Amino acid sequence: MTEAIATLKARKPRMSAEGRLLHMTALVVPLVGLAIFFLYPLAIIVQRSFVQRDGALGLGNYRDVFGMGHIGRVVQNSLVMSGLTTLICVVLGFAIAYALQRTRLPYRRLISVALLLPLLAPSLVQALGLIFLFGRNGLISQATGWNLQIYGLWGLVISNTMYALPQAVMIIQAALRHSDSRQYDAAMVLGASPWRQFVDITLPKARFGLLSAGFVCFTVTITDFGNAAVIGGNYRVLATEIYAQVVGQMNFNMGAVVGIFLLIPTLLAFYLEKVAARRETGGGSESAVPVTPTRSAARDLPLGLVAFAAALFIVAVVGTVVYASFVSLWPYRLDLTLRNYNITAQGGYAPLWTSLVVSAQAAVIGTALLFALVVAQRRLTGGAAKAVYLLAIVPVGVPGLVLGLSYVLSFNVAHPLLGMVYGTTFLIALCNFYHYHSQGFLTMVTGIRTVPPALEETVTCMGGSSLHGMRDAILPVMLPTLVAVFFFLFMRSMVTLSAVIFLITPRLSVGAVSVLRLDQAGFTTQAAAFSVCIMGVVLAAMGLMKLALHLLSRRPEAASSARKLEVTD
Amino acid sequence: MPKHLAPMTATLALSAFLAAPALAGEITVYSSLEDEEIAAYLEVAQREMPDLTVNVLRLSTGDMGARLIAEAANPQADVLWGFAVTNILNPQIYDLLEPYEAEGVDQLDAQYRDGDGRWFAPIGYMGAFCVNTMRLEQIGAEMPRSWSDLTDPAFEGEVVMPDPGSSGTGYLQIAAILQGMGEEEGWQLIQDLDANMAQYTTSGSRPCRMAQVGEYTVGASLSYVAMQGIDQGYPLEMVIPEDYAGYELEGNGLIRGSDNQEEAQRFLDWTLSESAAQVYSEHKAVVTLPGVPRSPLADQAGLPEDLSDVLFQMDFAASGEARDAIISRWRELVGR
Repeated sequence: MTEAIATLKARKPRMSAEGRLLHMTALVVPLVGLAIFFLYPLAIIVQRSFVQRDGALGLGNYRDVFGMGHIGRVVQNSLVMSGLTTLICVVLGFAIAYALQRTRLPYRRLISVALLLPLLAPSLVQALGLIFLFGRNGLISQATGWNLQIYGLWGLVISNTMYALPQAVMIIQAALRHSDSRQYDAAMVLGASPWRQFVDITLPKARFGLLSAGFVCFTVTITDFGNAAVIGGNYRVLATEIYAQVVGQMNFNMGAVVGIFLLIPTLLAFYLEKVAARRETGGGSESAVPVTPTRSAARDLPLGLVAFAAALFIVAVVGTVVYASFVSLWPYRLDLTLRNYNITAQGGYAPLWTSLVVSAQAAVIGTALLFALVVAQRRLTGGAAKAVYLLAIVPVGVPGLVLGLSYVLSFNVAHPLLGMVYGTTFLIALCNFYHYHSQGFLTMVTGIRTVPPALEETVTCMGGSSLHGMRDAILPVMLPTLVAVFFFLFMRSMVTLSAVIFLITPRLSVGAVSVLRLDQAGFTTQAAAFSVCIMGVVLAAMGLMKLALHLLSRRPEAASSARKLEVTD
Repeated sequence: MPKHLAPMTATLALSAFLAAPALAGEITVYSSLEDEEIAAYLEVAQREMPDLTVNVLRLSTGDMGARLIAEAANPQADVLWGFAVTNILNPQIYDLLEPYEAEGVDQLDAQYRDGDGRWFAPIGYMGAFCVNTMRLEQIGAEMPRSWSDLTDPAFEGEVVMPDPGSSGTGYLQIAAILQGMGEEEGWQLIQDLDANMAQYTTSGSRPCRMAQVGEYTVGASLSYVAMQGIDQGYPLEMVIPEDYAGYELEGNGLIRGSDNQEEAQRFLDWTLSESAAQVYSEHKAVVTLPGVPRSPLADQAGLPEDLSDVLFQMDFAASGEARDAIISRWRELVGR
């Protein structure tokens, strides 16, 4: 068998006509989606950035932006803030992902659940939670009399770390999920210490995942506006600048220029792609024997401390929000009440159900398109592979505010086809999906790198079609990653705000907007209550979906996939 | 929230895969009024015009401005209702409006309506401080009555106001100071205030929300924002600065190219009607329609009988034009 595979590997994979068709479809459909719902809106923003005040085309806006006295400081602030956040997230994210994937730390599940919380709490409310806890009149200041200073760089780094860390862990986990214990066995026989094994085997294999995670952390925090607005204090960043230009001064075209600035960090993707294209040594071998996590006190104790400390911090912040949602007047009257759950904002709880519809669409469409794209991209070589890769990664550099407005500019048109989706849940779902496209893509790419190519070729060779190859070889191995991406898209779509605010209509609003409205109108505890409802609904929906998945995997035709899953997981 | 909207929103929200075109007798209104106000006004409007369905999209002034400009090529709304006049005067918004002589618009003073008939403003709001009385006691300072009071060193690091570059409210405040005191003294006061300013926030309501939970003592914001906090029971007092309160008008106008012009005009006429004026007086401190009973809010705020005493003449057009220059100079001055 091994020999057969070895010869197969040597030969160039031949594709049947059906295989080619499948491959083309898997490639073209996601690319068309990207072209219409990402590239086209982006092109409109680029065009806007060249429209000067006098209406002529030119570089005037760019000159104006460079001419702003404070722009240098703002750029520097953004770089420092995102750099620090990225460093913390990658180090912490790796420790946590390692603890989850490679150790037998007790109660690992709790850490996983805690890490979901920042993804499913609206960032506005999470920032409020931080203020309720660490603010000048927060619980800790009140209890200790300390004068904590949460507003500014550190508050921003903490809140952005909460936002980016779960995304980092998701990607790094995909990198650590599959491993070959034979390499570790060999190293042990050769007398390598556990530390050497870690440095020489584990780290190099996780390198791509770490780089991807760092890239994502940097770009999502440099473009994020929500935390900067609530907790950033006087620490101005580029995302605040876009808001000031577009929303504060109704200066679209200047905002577009700053938005394009924010695309610069995505150029790092070129480097990332180079690493991705490099073949991993000994990675993803078809006969890999998965590593069985062992116990090691010297390693697990510090790892466990770090992971649980991070989880505890997150739980404390979100827990404060939950607590505040039951309090009659935060922080002055702390008697418990259910009154905050009687939502008085426009539409009551109806927007919450709309959010569910939107999020389900975003998650289903998104996961399918991303999977197809990742599988198809894997077969490409050279320039084409590079181009697809870069295109899939750029969306992360576009701030939500810019994306939302670009959608209005692109799809609020009289054109019968393009204009048809404006004002629908479908468009909001697509906007949310493309907003988080890159994170999903990078997670899947990281995951699929560990699928041995020979595996699918074997299936094809043994008489199965490419479709079978996908179903029997790739899908089972990828399933945990697919589920992770599905839930990621679902959760973010439930709470993301900055783009959606421009796409709601009088009859179609979403939960995150209700939270914003309640907070703006001073109903802070009601805003917290609404967020708790969102979190509850998401957790319940995820529980149901996990249950369905579990039941599905026990059906006979899926049993083989389930078995494979157990082996590799 | 308006009860009649709830079931409708719910069913439509779940099924609305495609946007239904507005039916006859149905208009789409974009507004930056507060949710509560919208509900109260619509209740009356519905009683008087039962055959007219009004669908309202409510966004804050800044978000609404961005949305209006982005939609300019294919406007989705029929009416702009309760939108800051300073923003309406921005040519990008002004050009979206169609001249319409609403019934009863001539009761308004010339300064409260557009010469070309594109907007009229029967209501408005004022700049106001939200003062947290508990924190005020803690820091042992006197209740501030004016902007100048806030320069007292006792307030060091205890005052928050919106960034004029990001928030219309912040701009309204410094424009009032500059127009009232004159350039030189005005900038001096702004600089003196900066010494005590803990932070400049992005949104106009945030300073008051911070003051109400006791993060800071004074949040410079707007009258209705303060009233909302007081209604909730927070230890807040609203102070209309004695010196330069600043105010903003909330304008209404007809959107160009509306498919439901007649219905839209009917609604605009209603916003100037006697019954509308009646309900304004329950919710608004500033009502520019003549002969309207004085609002209980105005009493609470301790406003004088004649508002023009505190609302010194704001030159909205000048304030709009000078905006960019003022904002850059401000940013240079405070360096934040």
